[in-house]
Amino acid sequence: MKARAHRWLGMLAAIALYGIAGTSEAAAPSVDAAIEPSQIEMGDSAQLTITTSGSGTLSVSLPEVSGLEFRVVGQSRQIQIINGATFESTSTIVRVTPELPGVFIIPGPSPNSPTMTLRVMPNNGSGSSSPPDGSASPGRTPYLPGGSNSNLHLSADGSAFVNLEIPKHELYVGESVPVEIQVGMRDGFVASINGLPKLNSSDFTLNNLSRQPEHAAKTVNGVPFTVYTWHSLLAGVKPGVYSLNFETPMTVRVRTRPQADSRIDDLLGDPFLQNLFGVMVQKNINVTSPEAAMKVLPLPSQGKPPDFSGAVGAFKISADVSSAKNTAGDPLTLRMHVTGSGTFDRVDSNMLETGPEWKTYEPKSNFSSNDPTGYRGEKTFEQPIIASQPGAQTIPPLTFSYFNPGTHQYETAQSSPIPVAVSPAANSAANEPPPVTASTSGPTPKSPNSAGAPADESHTGLRPDHAITEARFDSVTPPYFQARFIAIPTVLALLFGGGWMALRRRERDALDVRRERERVRSQIIRGLSEQMTAAAAKRDAAPFFNAARSVLQQTLNARWPDIPAEHIITDDLDARLEDAEKHEIREIFTLADEANYSGHALTTADFERWTELVRRHIAVETPS
Amino acid sequence: MMRRAPWGISIIALAVFGSSHASPAPTAQAQQPPAQSMPAQPAQPQPVPAQPAQPQSVSVPPAPAQGGYSAPALYNYANAFARAGKPGFAVLNYERARLLDPSDPDIDANLNHVLVASGLPPETHTQFERMTAIAGTRTLAWLGVLGLLLAGIGALRLRFYPRHRRKFAVATLLGIVVLGVSIADAVNLWPVMHEAVVITKTAPVRVSPTLIEETLFVMPEATIVSTGAAHDGFVLVRTAAGRTGWTPSTNLAPIVH
Repeated sequence: MKARAHRWLGMLAAIALYGIAGTSEAAAPSVDAAIEPSQIEMGDSAQLTITTSGSGTLSVSLPEVSGLEFRVVGQSRQIQIINGATFESTSTIVRVTPELPGVFIIPGPSPNSPTMTLRVMPNNGSGSSSPPDGSASPGRTPYLPGGSNSNLHLSADGSAFVNLEIPKHELYVGESVPVEIQVGMRDGFVASINGLPKLNSSDFTLNNLSRQPEHAAKTVNGVPFTVYTWHSLLAGVKPGVYSLNFETPMTVRVRTRPQADSRIDDLLGDPFLQNLFGVMVQKNINVTSPEAAMKVLPLPSQGKPPDFSGAVGAFKISADVSSAKNTAGDPLTLRMHVTGSGTFDRVDSNMLETGPEWKTYEPKSNFSSNDPTGYRGEKTFEQPIIASQPGAQTIPPLTFSYFNPGTHQYETAQSSPIPVAVSPAANSAANEPPPVTASTSGPTPKSPNSAGAPADESHTGLRPDHAITEARFDSVTPPYFQARFIAIPTVLALLFGGGWMALRRRERDALDVRRERERVRSQIIRGLSEQMTAAAAKRDAAPFFNAARSVLQQTLNARWPDIPAEHIITDDLDARLEDAEKHEIREIFTLADEANYSGHALTTADFERWTELVRRHIAVETPS
Repeated sequence: MMRRAPWGISIIALAVFGSSHASPAPTAQAQQPPAQSMPAQPAQPQPVPAQPAQPQSVSVPPAPAQGGYSAPALYNYANAFARAGKPGFAVLNYERARLLDPSDPDIDANLNHVLVASGLPPETHTQFERMTAIAGTRTLAWLGVLGLLLAGIGALRLRFYPRHRRKFAVATLLGIVVLGVSIADAVNLWPVMHEAVVITKTAPVRVSPTLIEETLFVMPEATIVSTGAAHDGFVLVRTAAGRTGWTPSTNLAPIVH
């Protein structure tokens, strides 16, 4: 009943407004803006609603405030027709996200609009009025569930940190110190790292920053982080006390709901769920490491060696030579190895200077690093040198000077002297090549210069021309690479390979024939043995002895392959067998002949004895 | 019959060996020397030391005599170039002379002398190169053939006719060693097949085979470089220091052509 009365009152009010509006002209366009709430904490967002109303159109632009990010998240439009006049109103919903705490004055969307104030409180509840500078301030207490008890300084929203590991805070000018730059990203809260860590100081240089960082999982106050570690070398440019820090740009996901409403998100700890419900937005921030104080000392001017090239570190040197024996005039390679740790790019040496005993050339150097930053390794210098005099020579010790920050003084490393036995040149009494000009000593003075002065005075040290007595060749190409020569070893190799294969095949064929013959013979002997057994069972002497003789002929044929088995007779036995064996076999052969004509009457024991004798011979000839 | 087989192989092999050994150099005497006097192709821009007439009679030496290559002739020729102030051609001919007679110390001495005078580092040799230089490339090559014969015959005898096993085992081993040394010498010489000498005063090396490309560095005359691909009149070169780039082929003369 009461509700119905309210509805009617509303209708009457509308009619009354319609009447009033109908009597007036259409309203001019206007813009209103309101921010809600006017005070938030870091990590939260406020909502700015810009409403344009009126029959005309009015362009609205988003305000620009340093330290605040404005993003349109929605728009609604309403059209009313009153007494034929059209009223249009548009509401634009803008999300305002602070990048740092402070009090921000937001201008109205149109010149006539009033300004708005947004107060952004730090997470810990203490107010801040520091002017916005566009970067997250280091050192503030981060928001992390359970609080922070580590030395790491997290970003304002607790999603990332940058940490600098420096082994020492006092270094000399030119000294390199290996540093580690750690960038920690809270899993699920940092979308990407948008650049390499940047040094915020012009008083230092950062060298050899590793291209690919190492990454490892780390838990900070119970919250999982992925830590990326870059290695680099830090060097001071000028003496003094300075501070430095590092900055890394990255994209993080921040909450759009008030912190109090997001506790459950943190408890869930699942970024997917948070994204699913639209509570996270992406934001670009710069995360900065805590400032580190460094003292840069000047190199002492006293005691500086004349050959000091600026190398600072701890080094050792050694030297060797390509050969301990050499011929005068032939070059040797002298090597100096500098090992240790420090600024290897400043490690330099002229090595051996040209003197009366050694002629030297510009050395070349090569560095092999033992770590990604090039802080530790070995630099090798190679210098061609030529002995000027034959005899027992010594390469003098090589020296290398550097500043050792450990001992705070200049040091000079020295190698051991190297003895070299230099023999005189083969066709020259003295080591010096004869200062021959073509006019005086060439055995074949055919050069046009032989009659006149050399065209180039620097070449007067050439050894003389030779008499042309050798056989000539049709090419300077070494025989190994001439097709005609290559054909010879190729043909030879093919011949040997073919011969090897042919002999192998012949050997295999011979073996196959022998095996086949043995197989056939075994079959025949087996058949004949069965005939013997059958004849013995019937006490039939003639077939028994015939079979026995055939068996023995087959077994003897294995021994005498030159005689066919059937052609082996008693004469062959007499000629080729000896003593007991001959008599036993010969007896069987004779009994076989007699049994065919006379008909022997044998006892069972006789059959068994002859059978045993034949089997023994079979076993002797075919042991397998 | 069977026992005669390896001797038949060895007789055939020896016949091949003997006939081929006798064949190479003397038969070429009647031929024209193939461009020995012409240090490679770079004809047009270079003061090529061709046979008779030369505009720069003072600086250009004459070509060696006809009838093929010989180490002394090339050495003398290189000396003449060196005296004429042409270190590029001098180094080129010293290198060629050394291929024919690596045991000649004069060639090495003068080659290094010219290199040093040109501001280039002298060449160094490994112990193996010094050892093989004593025998000479051609001798080692034929010794390699002999080693192959020994190893082949010895292996066949050992496998199929096991009489005098010890003697043939020693022969096989000796053959393998000699063949190995010969192969190592060939491997050692292989890079020379792709080396060239800068014969112009300077040779600019560019990033890519075009004249408009930036010059990486400039090689002085007499520099010895390794050559690679060729493209559009340019050759890809690598210096002893490991630097690479493209240079016009007219700046270079290959040591072996």
